[in-house]
Amino acid sequence: MLTKTLSVNSQKRQIRFYESEPLLWVLRERLNLKSVKFGCGVGLCGACTVVIDGQPVRSCTILAKDINGNILTLEGLDKSHPVIKSWISFQVPQCGYCQSGFIMSVYAMTLKKPLPNASEVLSFLSSHICRCGTYERITKAVRSIFPE
Amino acid sequence: MGQGVFTGLAMVVADELDFPWERVFVSSAPASSTYFDPKMGLQLTGGSTSLKHMLEPMRKLGASLKDLIAHAASIDLSIPKDSLTLKDGKVFYKNQSAPYGRFIKTAMTLRPSQEPKLKKESEFIYIGKSPPRLDIPPKVKAEATFGIDAKAENLLYAIAERPPRFGSKALEFNRSHILKLPEVEEAFILSSGAVGIIARSFWACQIARKELKVVWSESSLKGMDNAELYELFLKRMDKEPSKSTSSGSPQTYIKKATTKIEETFFQPYLYHATIEPMTCLASFDGRSCLVVAPTQSQTWAFDVTKNITALPDKNIEIQTPYLGGGFGRKSHAGFVAEAVELSKRVKKPVKLIYTREDDVRSGFYRPLSVTKVLIAGDSIPRLLSFKISTQPLMGGRASTSGLDDYSFEHTLIERYDVELDIPVWFWRSVGHTHNAFSIEHALDIYAQKFSQDPFKLRMAILKDQRAKSLLEFAKEKWGKLDGAGIAYHSSFGSRVVAIAKARLDKNSVIVERILVAIDIGKRLIHPDLVRQQVEGSVVMGLSLALKEELFIKDGGALSLNFDSYGLLRIDEVPKLDIHILTSDSPMGGVGEPVVPVIAPAVANSLLWTYGIKTNKLPIKPS
Repeated sequence: MLTKTLSVNSQKRQIRFYESEPLLWVLRERLNLKSVKFGCGVGLCGACTVVIDGQPVRSCTILAKDINGNILTLEGLDKSHPVIKSWISFQVPQCGYCQSGFIMSVYAMTLKKPLPNASEVLSFLSSHICRCGTYERITKAVRSIFPE
Repeated sequence: MGQGVFTGLAMVVADELDFPWERVFVSSAPASSTYFDPKMGLQLTGGSTSLKHMLEPMRKLGASLKDLIAHAASIDLSIPKDSLTLKDGKVFYKNQSAPYGRFIKTAMTLRPSQEPKLKKESEFIYIGKSPPRLDIPPKVKAEATFGIDAKAENLLYAIAERPPRFGSKALEFNRSHILKLPEVEEAFILSSGAVGIIARSFWACQIARKELKVVWSESSLKGMDNAELYELFLKRMDKEPSKSTSSGSPQTYIKKATTKIEETFFQPYLYHATIEPMTCLASFDGRSCLVVAPTQSQTWAFDVTKNITALPDKNIEIQTPYLGGGFGRKSHAGFVAEAVELSKRVKKPVKLIYTREDDVRSGFYRPLSVTKVLIAGDSIPRLLSFKISTQPLMGGRASTSGLDDYSFEHTLIERYDVELDIPVWFWRSVGHTHNAFSIEHALDIYAQKFSQDPFKLRMAILKDQRAKSLLEFAKEKWGKLDGAGIAYHSSFGSRVVAIAKARLDKNSVIVERILVAIDIGKRLIHPDLVRQQVEGSVVMGLSLALKEELFIKDGGALSLNFDSYGLLRIDEVPKLDIHILTSDSPMGGVGEPVVPVIAPAVANSLLWTYGIKTNKLPIKPS
């Protein structure tokens, strides 16, 4: 085990974990950031997506010990952010389990300069899985945020 | 289990109670006969029944609560009940008003009416409208607690290493070595045959798993793969059927028939792929047991807990957080039983988490099937012979479900049960997915062979006017078929038509547009919830049509994660055209009935456009 200070949602958190431990498990079980969801463990579903220094990252595939940047999880995202608002107004989620991953990826897209268009965002989102099949609503929500 | 029912059931109560929507909150019920579905006699979210079965009880609940408040207010205010108006969560009297809550104390002392007066349809304030879902704000603001998020003081974690092949169990393992590893508290062979490892962190379990050396018992499935399984299921049909029923005189008619097609369809095991894998927190301390499980059945979770702990009923508590998907899988209580067994062993709270690979290896798939469909007739089809070889569910009833949409004068229905060590379970729509595909695709193969119009053919043999009207409606909305494929199926009390247009791009199938028309019977509670279920079912139906196949190799699951078990992605969703209709018939379900029609509609489109038959799912044109 090692001890390290991680910067999560604008806070410094000192935490002990294993050398081989993915960031996902440190965030969700040791730091209780439960929006970071376990889905596949190998970067195939996107449920564990967090934003590190502005980039969307699959937290299941990177080791916590290697992270030095600022980590943002859905807990740390402004609740009046347009992405969250559009997810509510289009009534996107069903079970909702995968949605924090989708939201964090879409949020990361809003940070890009120049702003990507909706098709680029949707093409990026094809790396995420929603088993309830909320894709049509995600598409509508994305189109409401990004230019055509 | 998208949990739209949190909203659907609550709005029914709030409607009868005349309560403001923004002040409604919902929590899931504990395991108790008080909350039994009156028709099923247990707590189970399944069979597309939630609103169908609970609408009337929930209306009565809201109405009797309102009546209690009125009665209590009349006592507290000394005003006759008739002079009070209850609206918007308030009791209005003599130009004044007071919130319902003020009268709760007195109301608690009164007996609720068993037959309260229900509202007239014209008086509904929410039913038929789409108030915003109650669970969405917490789900998008990181406030929702799912099964996997359950926590307890001094929580331990567990994994359950599963055998590489189905039907085998752990015989022994290097326990003394595992127990020496960091943070490991216990390791033992579970009743399920998996090896459980309990440690102080989840990652410690995973580190210990790498060191596991397990001796597994022999499996009856050693060497088996998908091709051999299909062969085995096909050969089963050479023997006696498990059940055979017929009507008319199929044996004699077949000799007279002038038109005939016979097709064999192969449909694979399907994995539920809930994005939240099986997970459960159990906390047994010797006197009581708390179970926090993302379960579709509190009753079954309770039953396994009672069985393992032998505790009195009152010392068992089942809590249900949000489920990260269910699709039938989470009604099986095996993962709950494992968590309880783990906690009982150490008498401490233990959270069991299946990794994706564990989850796939645990099985409980939709069964694989081989179906043989023979359709024969003269100018129209008059004979259906349907034979299915599959692993039975519901005592075999699921194998032959949904075969009565059309009026054939002669039928022969035969079921060939296959008993196999690969566990199978309810997968959204259960037996309807294989059967609707087989029948609906076979009908178009017949229509094409004998130059008939697939729409007119169905109109000629559909059983009732409700089905015909729906089909006509859908056809009119779509316009000229022009290579589009039609499929009809009724299940769970609802009727559904899908029309799809697919094209080939090199060797992949692109579905451009899908129209769905669903007749849900006489009551539409929350149109947007129904629409969500339809949207989701189209995606799941298309996913099974184009992508999903659980590969078995050497008796075990070869597909262990989403790289080898394909699921539909956002860029593959076609243009959707959804029509929700009501009719005078009894209320139907909406969670499942749309899934079965999608694959045959797509296959039929490829048939009419390219002449390609689909005898094996998923559709992979070569």
